[in-house]
Amino acid sequence: MNTASIDFKAFVEWDNSPFVLFNNHGKILYLNNAAELLFGHATPKEIYNIALLYAPQSFGYKTTAIDLNFDAFSFYAVTVGYENEEQIAIRLYNKPRIKQNIPLQKEKLMATDINILLEANIALFKIKNNNRLELLTDQEIPSFKIDQNSFSKLLRKILDTFVHSHSVFIELKLLIGEHIVIGNKKEPIVQLKIDADTRCSDTDEEIIALIDTTHIAYSFKEHSIRLDIPLIQ
Amino acid sequence: MEQFYTKSEQVQNIIKGLSLTKTLFVSSIILGEAHTGKKTLVRTLFPDTPVVSGSNLKEVKRALEDHNELIITDFEKLTHQNGLKFDNKRIIATANHIGNQQIIDKLFAFIYTMPPLKDRIEDAYYLKSLFFHEACTTLTAKEDSLKLDALAMDLTSNAQSLKKSIYEQVVYHSMKSEEIEKVLYAYLLEHLQGNNAYKEYLALYEKPLIKAGLQKFGSQLQLSQVLGINRNTLRKKIYEYRID
Repeated sequence: MNTASIDFKAFVEWDNSPFVLFNNHGKILYLNNAAELLFGHATPKEIYNIALLYAPQSFGYKTTAIDLNFDAFSFYAVTVGYENEEQIAIRLYNKPRIKQNIPLQKEKLMATDINILLEANIALFKIKNNNRLELLTDQEIPSFKIDQNSFSKLLRKILDTFVHSHSVFIELKLLIGEHIVIGNKKEPIVQLKIDADTRCSDTDEEIIALIDTTHIAYSFKEHSIRLDIPLIQ
Repeated sequence: MEQFYTKSEQVQNIIKGLSLTKTLFVSSIILGEAHTGKKTLVRTLFPDTPVVSGSNLKEVKRALEDHNELIITDFEKLTHQNGLKFDNKRIIATANHIGNQQIIDKLFAFIYTMPPLKDRIEDAYYLKSLFFHEACTTLTAKEDSLKLDALAMDLTSNAQSLKKSIYEQVVYHSMKSEEIEKVLYAYLLEHLQGNNAYKEYLALYEKPLIKAGLQKFGSQLQLSQVLGINRNTLRKKIYEYRID
């Protein structure tokens, strides 16, 4: 088949998995849309180092199965290839974020103003921790369907991990350009991020078990927790 | 709308949390010692919500079937808590103690703790003044004959002991001698017996007489003069009644 006349660039551009082309100094020569999003959570140097680490010994392409995590981005493999000494390309394979095995129990979900729910949880948290707390929220986030009781329980447990923090920063925003696929439907994402000077991770397993029963994606770090909540309407 | 008075930041946060969840279908519980104002607070914030006591499981189950919004008081008395389902319901419960922590954690999204009155001293002063006015009205005592500041507060059982102590003190200060006689009469009528009763019950009069006298006049010498008794007799009675 003669494919010389086909411009494959658009396919790479719109591929859901990140693709980056570096020069031999680690400078980005090209990156697709998915890679642009990834660079919000990983540095070009990190990705370049991965490319060098998993590059084939000689010219050509090599795919390696590895677990990579950058906040909410998870990858299960990388393909690294180079055809000359000047350029090296890497493609990272997205781990599916869909939890297909969890049916959406719509009867339990109720249209909710997440800001009210968050504020109520902050009021509860402030009883236990009176230190500095900053909240940056988007009041324009539309009401969306959520299991109010379970989500409040989850928030309480998450905030409790910051109960000994001296300063807590909470940010709630609508993510632009990212989606969670539930069933066959792409749902926008509302992101809740809590950062602090310190965090107690003793109950992380319990919290993760609770999250695993929902369609929420998460990222737990030493001093922060991030939830990507599907905006189901 | 009636308001729940508090100066406590902790209680204000409970009010804020509960007020915010008024439109949400979530379950909340307020834990805390008895007589700290949990029920009053919930009834003030949710005046139209049906109330059911946790001491009656059948009633609670029926109320859960009939209503989407419910106040359950004395939740610690409720048996079979594990079988309850609060999905898509607005439940506000109160309990004097937590009971089974795991069940509470599973059932309730919001778990608040009402601080005792000894940790909310401004609230205690407010209630003291409230009970004082109430006691003076009920007992037709003159408010200006007593100093509010001089009244002691008993906070061992929160508002209950506080109210009792204020009423008692108002009674003590407003009683006339005929009423004291009536009190003694009723007491003696019930308890008088034995073969040494005169000496035993004389203490009812002598002990407060000497205690009050010592506080008022300071020295035994002065008190013996006021009482018109010998100093040695007074000293003997102080020893006998173990008065410090």
